[in-house]
Amino acid sequence: MSELRVLGVSRAFGEHVALDEVGFAVRPGRLTGFVGANGAGKTTAMRIIMGVLAPDAGTVELDGAPLTLPVRARFGYMPEERGLYPKMKVAEQLVYLGRVHGLDGPTARRRVAELLDGLGLADRASDALQTLSLGNQQRVQVAAALVHDPTVLVLDEPFSGLDPLAVDEMGGMLRRRAAGGVPVLFSSHQLELVERLCDDVVIIDHGRVVAAGEAGELRAARTRRRYRVVVEGLGPDGPAALLAAVPGATLVADAAPPGVVVDLPDGADEQPLLAAAQARGVVRELALIRPTLAEIFREVVR
Amino acid sequence: MSAQRASTAIRVVAAREISVKLRDKAFIWSTVFMLLLVTAATVIPVVLSQRVPNVRVAVQGATAEEVIALAAELGTQADVDDEVGPPIALLGVGGLPAAKITWVAAEPDVDLARMLRNEDVSAALVGDDLAELRLVGLQSVSEELEILVTAASSELQVAEAAEAGGLTPEQVVAITQPTPPEVQLLDVRPAGTMPPELLILVFSFLFYLSVLTFGMSIAQSVVEEKQSRVVELLVAAMPVRWLLAGKVVGNTVMAVGQVVVIVGAGIIGAVVAGQRQLVTQVVDGSGWFVVFFLLGFVMLACLWAVGGSLASRIEDLSSTTAVMQILVIVPFFASIFMTDPSPVQRALSYVPFTAPLLMPARVVQGTAEAWEPYVAAGVVAVTAVLFVVLGARLYAGSVLHTSGRLKAAQAWRGTD
Repeated sequence: MSELRVLGVSRAFGEHVALDEVGFAVRPGRLTGFVGANGAGKTTAMRIIMGVLAPDAGTVELDGAPLTLPVRARFGYMPEERGLYPKMKVAEQLVYLGRVHGLDGPTARRRVAELLDGLGLADRASDALQTLSLGNQQRVQVAAALVHDPTVLVLDEPFSGLDPLAVDEMGGMLRRRAAGGVPVLFSSHQLELVERLCDDVVIIDHGRVVAAGEAGELRAARTRRRYRVVVEGLGPDGPAALLAAVPGATLVADAAPPGVVVDLPDGADEQPLLAAAQARGVVRELALIRPTLAEIFREVVR
Repeated sequence: MSAQRASTAIRVVAAREISVKLRDKAFIWSTVFMLLLVTAATVIPVVLSQRVPNVRVAVQGATAEEVIALAAELGTQADVDDEVGPPIALLGVGGLPAAKITWVAAEPDVDLARMLRNEDVSAALVGDDLAELRLVGLQSVSEELEILVTAASSELQVAEAAEAGGLTPEQVVAITQPTPPEVQLLDVRPAGTMPPELLILVFSFLFYLSVLTFGMSIAQSVVEEKQSRVVELLVAAMPVRWLLAGKVVGNTVMAVGQVVVIVGAGIIGAVVAGQRQLVTQVVDGSGWFVVFFLLGFVMLACLWAVGGSLASRIEDLSSTTAVMQILVIVPFFASIFMTDPSPVQRALSYVPFTAPLLMPARVVQGTAEAWEPYVAAGVVAVTAVLFVVLGARLYAGSVLHTSGRLKAAQAWRGTD
């Protein structure tokens, strides 16, 4: 089990600082989502991990050792800018890419046959890539990242341009790879997707890591004392009366009826809120609201 | 371990270049076309020059018959002599042409003009007196026939006159078949019938063509990977200098292979056509051309890869490879026009770009000292290594630059 670590990586393009001492870990057997606004530095960071770009400072390590060429050659990579040889036959170019990654000929051919079978593309093996639909080309791109049975997966926006079924397919594939003990890092704009799939999250903004860690812990840490209360029979004046009965409570403006969303002061007990609610009707729900990843993202990136 | 990885990776990249090239229809057809051209160029002239014309002549009169019999004998003799050595000179007539003469005796009352018009015969020889022989043709008389008949008639007249003068048969032979002087050359060049200029021209043309077509294909292969973005996958898996080296190796193999096939076809054609001597000369004179061809090709191939990596799209190639085109065309013309030994030719035969053609040219012309090609080969080899390093650096600096064309200085700094 190997852990990929990015340590204090900085990179500037001329005056523009793309990455500023970026550090995070991609743990084995876990899916790590890499989240950030456009231009935040995701692609630059991934390119540095893959050795396509050189960092100005900092290192990338696997199992505590700086990456070397033979180690990197075992990584699987899906670049942001997709691309394979348009005129080359599907199987042939996958075998070529497998060999570029150090597989011998027979192994590469066997792996490609298995992968194409798994992706349902076995019958297109000897067609030129450009004759395939965009969705199938994307599948071949995935196969290109997997052909050499990678030890680490780095995928830049693997879900972009996929239909919902293909998204599920891709998600399942990433999960299986992670379950096999491979550290998987992928970037995405689709925060709901990241939230659903990821074990760990790294949020990057303007070249700096603003939040990183286990997705659940991250949400817990950002959880404030915000409660949703649903009380049956609460009249039009109910919310105001409820608030008045709980010291320090404030009404969150965007609360949706029939419930009330209330922020309590730090350290305050939620029991007075429950008692006040019960005094005014039948309490159907009292729940602590944990922020979604999207909310955390908006908050930290703001 | 790393060296082994490098050589494997370079082989894999080179193998792809080769397999792509082998399936490229333009490449296949241009090779086939060149093959046909070379075969035709070697075989056709030889076949033409070896063809002995058949002439059928109508003969009227005893003397005419005597002359035509001797002419036929001389024509056959010349055919045999051709294969042994230079034709003998006879009575100042010069080398006699080979021809196969057959004749029919015509009765005095036969209409010769009609026979000629009917194309039963291509000429007619009429006369009972050597002094009054007439050679009749329709529109023209075959040149070979005219020379042979003239020679035969002269020989008979000389013999007649000598006999009248009371000379012995030996003296008659001495007059009619004098012994020509032996030609002796003091400074014999290895190139006999094949002029060195022709050899230089052929190699210059092959070099020019190979570098231009394969150079362009290297540049295209580089820019195609950039344009299709697959390059990012490749450079994540291997250092750019391996990728570059693989492309250069693959295309060099194909270029040399193409030249070998074409030259081989020419050699086989020449051997089949009976020009073994010519082949020996070409093979003897080609040694340094082959060495310089390889070195020069590799040197320029690296530059073409740089030209490719400075472009982002196929459309930008013509502007980024303009310098390389000049670097190929200038030596080509220099080697064609600078055939006379001069200090300039000598100097240029050491300049990396002109050396691949001018130095072997000087060797063939015999104006280079034995050590000179080694020095020039060293210069080209060192330049090639420098270009590989420079090329790899520029390639690495520009390979991820996927929009617009790049200035060399930008690529050198590696600005993305």
